[in-house]
Amino acid sequence: MKDMIETKIPRAINWNRLDDDKDLEVWNRLTVNFWLPEKVPLSNDIQSWATLTDHEKQLTIRVFTGLTLLDTIQNSVGAPALMPDAITPHEEAVLTNIAFMEAVHARSYSSIFSTLCSTKEIDEAFRWSDENPHLQAKAKAILDTYAPGNDPLKRKIASVFLESFLFYSGFYLPMYWSSRAKLTNTADLIRLIIRDEAVHGYYIGYKFQRGYEKLSATEQQDLKDYAFSLMFELYDIENQYTEELYDQIGLTEDVKVFLHYNANKALQNLGFEALFPPEVSEVNPAILAALSPDSENHDFFSGSGSSYVIGKAVATEDEDWDF
Amino acid sequence: MLDSSLNEQDYHALNAMLNLYDGDGNIRFDADRMAARQYFLQHVNQNTVFFHSLDEKLGYLVSEGYYEEAVLDQYSKNFMRAIWDAAYGKKFRFPTFLGAFKYYTSYTLKTRDGQRYLERYEDRVVMTALALARGDEDLAMTFMEEILDGRFQPATPTFLNAGKASRGELISCFLLRLEDNMESIGRGINSALQLSKRGGGVALLLTNIREHGAPIKGIENQSSGVIPVMKLLEDSFSYANQLGARQGAGAVYLNAHHPDIMRFLDTKRENADEKIRIKTLSLGVVIPDITFELAKKNADMYLFSPHDVEKVYGVPFSEISVTEKYHEMVDDKRIRKTKVNAREFFQTIAEIQFESGYPYVLFEDTANRMNPVDGRINMSNLCSEILQVNEASEFNDDLSYAKMGSDISCNLGSLNIAKTMDGKDLGRTVGAAIRALTAVSEMSAIDSVPSVRRGNDDSHAIGLGQMNLHGFLAREHIHYGSAEGVEFTSVYFAAIAYHAIRSSCELAQERGASFKGFEKSDYASGTFFDKYTDRDWLPQSDRVTSLFGGMDLPTRDDWAALKADVMQHGMFNRNLQAVPPTGSISYINNSTSSIHPIVSKIEIRKEGKIGRVYYPAAFMNNENLEYYRDAYEIGPEALIDTYAAATEHVDQGLSLTLFFPAEATTRDINKAQIYAWKKGIKTIYYVRLRQEALEGTEVQGCVSCTL
Repeated sequence: MKDMIETKIPRAINWNRLDDDKDLEVWNRLTVNFWLPEKVPLSNDIQSWATLTDHEKQLTIRVFTGLTLLDTIQNSVGAPALMPDAITPHEEAVLTNIAFMEAVHARSYSSIFSTLCSTKEIDEAFRWSDENPHLQAKAKAILDTYAPGNDPLKRKIASVFLESFLFYSGFYLPMYWSSRAKLTNTADLIRLIIRDEAVHGYYIGYKFQRGYEKLSATEQQDLKDYAFSLMFELYDIENQYTEELYDQIGLTEDVKVFLHYNANKALQNLGFEALFPPEVSEVNPAILAALSPDSENHDFFSGSGSSYVIGKAVATEDEDWDF
Repeated sequence: MLDSSLNEQDYHALNAMLNLYDGDGNIRFDADRMAARQYFLQHVNQNTVFFHSLDEKLGYLVSEGYYEEAVLDQYSKNFMRAIWDAAYGKKFRFPTFLGAFKYYTSYTLKTRDGQRYLERYEDRVVMTALALARGDEDLAMTFMEEILDGRFQPATPTFLNAGKASRGELISCFLLRLEDNMESIGRGINSALQLSKRGGGVALLLTNIREHGAPIKGIENQSSGVIPVMKLLEDSFSYANQLGARQGAGAVYLNAHHPDIMRFLDTKRENADEKIRIKTLSLGVVIPDITFELAKKNADMYLFSPHDVEKVYGVPFSEISVTEKYHEMVDDKRIRKTKVNAREFFQTIAEIQFESGYPYVLFEDTANRMNPVDGRINMSNLCSEILQVNEASEFNDDLSYAKMGSDISCNLGSLNIAKTMDGKDLGRTVGAAIRALTAVSEMSAIDSVPSVRRGNDDSHAIGLGQMNLHGFLAREHIHYGSAEGVEFTSVYFAAIAYHAIRSSCELAQERGASFKGFEKSDYASGTFFDKYTDRDWLPQSDRVTSLFGGMDLPTRDDWAALKADVMQHGMFNRNLQAVPPTGSISYINNSTSSIHPIVSKIEIRKEGKIGRVYYPAAFMNNENLEYYRDAYEIGPEALIDTYAAATEHVDQGLSLTLFFPAEATTRDINKAQIYAWKKGIKTIYYVRLRQEALEGTEVQGCVSCTL
């Protein structure tokens, strides 16, 4: 009877026959951007870490445990959940890369912890993340959407919101520190993560839009309603999460503006219009400018920068050696 | 720190606006000027200790042990009042936020708790002038004017430390040889610690150390090669941070034909194992001409065991010209060897440069051909602009010297090309700079590393650099790398060389002494001057001629007269010029870095101590943006052409960074390296990459992200 059960054998992936050029473009970008946390000399931040107050340290660790949780979800549930929905085998391959890099990100936060903090502080922070109602609520909201049998496009919506929106309440803090000359190597590492997440959110959003185009007007409206209601739900949780984290150092208002900016960006990735008007989305320039990793002119002696990539190796030809 | 963040007037936010276009697509230079102003109003002025008079201030700073009393004791009270009045009379203002921020964060004298400022910019300049003039009032006044007017800027260690009572060394840079024995390696690590503690960058030569698997005392497979030595050095530099000012920094150089070369390069791989990964140590590869010849033929290149080479030739590997002895060594059975494909070697270098920016490259034979003094250049330094000869030391078992060799130190300072040209008196400006740099050499005695002390005492080597080339050219509406830009560079550097040599010759007459080994140099024989007496180095085009209007440029006759003077009186400094990358000092001095093109119209500068700050290119406004094409747009050839024109007249090296878009390939990097080598470039510093944001993921309205 055994051979009666139909085993679905995937077709060998042929990168020379592309259904969608975007798959290759993103694959190339992601592989070129491959990195490991070991490349960043985090230990150069130890002195700077010591200048933070206890509260600031606690806040920083908590923010990073929050990010660890999100990366863990995306690595172990999110990206794999998107794979069965993939339309092309190449999309599936890109998603495996995304899943792997999310694991690298989760691993990176642990590198930061082990470099800067004591085991006790780390354990305390992970306990905090297990028990924090807002953090758990956002994890749950996303995981519910990822559940098997759910609408593939809804999963993509959740995934884009996670990649392009939910991460950023956490990313705010290292960017803020680095604009104040603190934890600059940690910020380098976070900027590498941001570099990846920007591509992930963009790509999944792009795939969402391809699916969305094929729907009827009613179906489109339903899906859009769903997206906005999920955004409202998440925004509500994010607001509370932000207040709890940032109230004590007086940055809440600034972080919320940043949330608006990124919520708009996430919706834009899905092809939808902005939710928040420009007046409430004017991000502190120091933070906004800090987000761009390109063309940064770092000083090699105190950091490794976030602009290096794995190059394309091409052998030289005889004509190149004409002298 | 946190409270001002939401304030609209937050100077960090104002500064960051530079990187975001306004509604009309203009760059907001006014925001940055406002940032500089707010920085003073909100932060500096409130935190500066106030004194009623100069006497009160100096009295306090001396009695509290902040200023070195001996520096001030050399001058009369009247003179000190006069020089301070003159300095404050110049009404200096920082034109950019980064200039002010960098100065107050890293240079100015602070109270011991680090909370309050004790100096303004003018005070630092005057103290530097007083310290370097060593009691000569006229010279002190000249130094003050040259520095405060922005024509001459001493390097960071000098400008930071001069006149302070508790301070690091005034010298920027050290280069040490390591030999193939444990004593030398141990002493080398100790020296690296000592020098790092005192504030200098240290480079070490690994070429002579035997390779992985080489025999020790005749027993095979015993040596661990150069990687563990690099690990030890990396940790040493991390440990010795410079009075907390910054991490110690070090570089290591290895010859391309050393058997460990591929392992050496792999330490910077993205996926290198933690055991062999090198994170913060800088790498440099020494490449002889023969490697290019072999690559041209697409042949294999042999790698030679330094241990065997030393046994056969009786001198360390670094004393041998690989190009000259290559075929002899290939045929010598006593020298064990391995091989790699030469083109693959170059490709590997380019791959690693993609991933990490390293290694630096020293074109060994070019550097030696152009070296006017006796001896062999086998390494460079942390910024790849120092090229001097050295001599091996030998040690006893207790690490004392059996034979003291000679190691290299260099103190640097740079001219702001735009300000120097505006000053119209190259002779005066260069003369002052050479005297200031020589003073640093004469005032320094690095007793912790006797071979360095000896090298400095014998040579009085200095390195006069240049910066703001791109800013100057753009201000004059000349494109960087254009024919006129290259022509200007050639004429300017020839004139600088003339005045530098002339000043050093004057010093030799005053001191009654030349550098050791002068009689064996091309200066003494006069051959050095041939290229200046055989032809003119004067402007050709009208445009460049007009730039030098009203200035005396050295003619062939001037050079011939100088040649006669030098042959008769000698020169005090063995080395005179070296063009460093000028990071920090170019921000304070409101210059574009070195003679590089700008990296971006608005440069995002990130350093450990200042975080991420935005810096507008010198003299740029919304009207002249077309002259500020950045290094990635200009491309490697125009950059190399400019550097080649300067290299012609610089006795040491020039830090040359290559810039590529991330879409480039290793072949593009290799082609640029071949081109640089062909054009007579001596060293290549970093390779920098810029990756454009994927369409759809960029930060909207960001100046540095859009072309």
